[in-house]
Amino acid sequence: MATVEQAADLQVERDGPPGWAVVTAQELRDLWLGGRGLALSVAFSLLLSVVAYLVATNTALNFLEHRESVNLVLQIAIAVGGLLTLLAGADAVSGERERGSLESILLSPVPRGQITLGKLLAALSLWLAAYAITVPYAWFLGRGVGIVGDALVTGGVVGTMIAVFLASLGLIVSLFARSNRISLSLSLFLLLALFAPTQLPSNAQQGWAGELLLRMNPITAGEHYVGKILTNGHAWGEDVSWLLSPLVAAVVLPAAALILGSRFMQLRGGVVE
Amino acid sequence: MAPVIEAEHIGKDYGSLTAVRDLSFVVEPGEVLGVLGPNGAGKTTAIRVLTTILPPSRGRFSVAGVPSSRSREIRRRIGVLPESAGYPERQTGQEYLTYHARLHGHTRASARAVVAGLLDEMGLRPRRGSLIASYSRGMRQRLGIARALVNDPAVVFLDEPTLGLDPAGQRQVLGHVRRLAQERSAAVLLSTHLLTEVEENCSRVLILNRGRAVAAGTVSEVVRLAAAPRSGRLQVAPEQAQLAAAVLAGVPSVARVTPDGRPGSLSVAFAAPGGGAEDVSLNAAVRALIDAGIVLISFQLEGARLSDAFLAMTEAA
Repeated sequence: MATVEQAADLQVERDGPPGWAVVTAQELRDLWLGGRGLALSVAFSLLLSVVAYLVATNTALNFLEHRESVNLVLQIAIAVGGLLTLLAGADAVSGERERGSLESILLSPVPRGQITLGKLLAALSLWLAAYAITVPYAWFLGRGVGIVGDALVTGGVVGTMIAVFLASLGLIVSLFARSNRISLSLSLFLLLALFAPTQLPSNAQQGWAGELLLRMNPITAGEHYVGKILTNGHAWGEDVSWLLSPLVAAVVLPAAALILGSRFMQLRGGVVE
Repeated sequence: MAPVIEAEHIGKDYGSLTAVRDLSFVVEPGEVLGVLGPNGAGKTTAIRVLTTILPPSRGRFSVAGVPSSRSREIRRRIGVLPESAGYPERQTGQEYLTYHARLHGHTRASARAVVAGLLDEMGLRPRRGSLIASYSRGMRQRLGIARALVNDPAVVFLDEPTLGLDPAGQRQVLGHVRRLAQERSAAVLLSTHLLTEVEENCSRVLILNRGRAVAAGTVSEVVRLAAAPRSGRLQVAPEQAQLAAAVLAGVPSVARVTPDGRPGSLSVAFAAPGGGAEDVSLNAAVRALIDAGIVLISFQLEGARLSDAFLAMTEAA
């Protein structure tokens, strides 16, 4: 038998849309109509333009094959797109807290897990925009060698998994950070730590320990997979085991964000009240 | 009618610091309860506990008949204007209210209707399409009250609603508070440290000090409970001042009569206040003057105001 509260929940869901959809819609409006998303997208497209121009025309870089050029642009798109979602996630709770607008949202009957989900989905819109911006660059650089389709599919799949992982990571940090500045700094630090293995000398990336390190890190594993498909021309299933950690991260982190959000989204960061 | 707020022995700790201790009170429907207290008395923490933003460390409460264990159900039935509420600067007033109406389960159409009514009620209709960044402090407070009403709540919590407002803004906001109780039959819990706000607008008062309730009741009950020492300042015709002093000196409940420096002005101290006896003393003094044929131009009682009781209770603790 339904309790009074459950009956009231059903009432709200019958009357209006679910809370997470309302939160997502408002966050998207704030992000895109407020101009922040647009400014970040313009900056992202400028970056891709510079990279594409250099790999296509620069005498030092244009030795790259078309395949490598597409791979390079896609890797940058995934990394920077992920960075944008990480920053959006890192601002989602601590930013509201600092602006004093979190309390009025917490006072609504929408469950805090749904508020977290709404914010996560809105943060992911930045990756969708980054991906859409990348499409013409990938097409321009990859035309004539038959890898545009592969590039867009692998980039889309891997990039989405990494974006979901990073947006969730930013959100988790944001839930607990004492200030928005701490949330943004710590998220960026974690991102740098995740990218660090890509800067290791190639001999350090060899052997079982090096490979394990690359495979366990969702970002390096995802980018490695994209590289194998685009640069080495491997088949889809050949290196699919490299997608394990991005997939796990893209499932576990958002689930953790939703659970932690429902329990720990509070007026003050850094403490359990 | 059943109380809309019933708090029983609520306590709230932040680590080793106890912000609210053993707080119990009830609020009836349509009542405006003024919660008074100096800074740090626990007013905001008590409101955050009752509005389910903070879990209580001890005790239990119910709001609109819903026990504290069902926090979402409580949030459906309350409206809250938090202290120092922040507003999204880049949203318009209408967008902001519509968003919150939809968070409370309104469809797009019903949210539009509710918001239109609230914008009218709060006098914000002409500026509904302006960014909140361009709103004055008073407009923001009215917007916050409108937000608190999007779900037609049974109980409204207002935490320092007139903070930082000019006198005209204060009057406007307090007018809305009175109408909430009168026209919507909502119970209002008004937290403030402005005593005149409470005297003029609240049917009952709860005084908090250091997290503890030190008095509760109507204004006159609280004043009586405080037993603040009472005195009076009276003005008679200058030529009758001496006679008045002599008459008052003969009244048993008058402890002392002294001229206060201005012609015809006397200061009177009453003996043994408390238990309601002071009111009889005042009447006896005034009657003695009238019986003696003295024209009483003015009489101002001191020590009988809420501010006196407030100071007596919070400074003594």
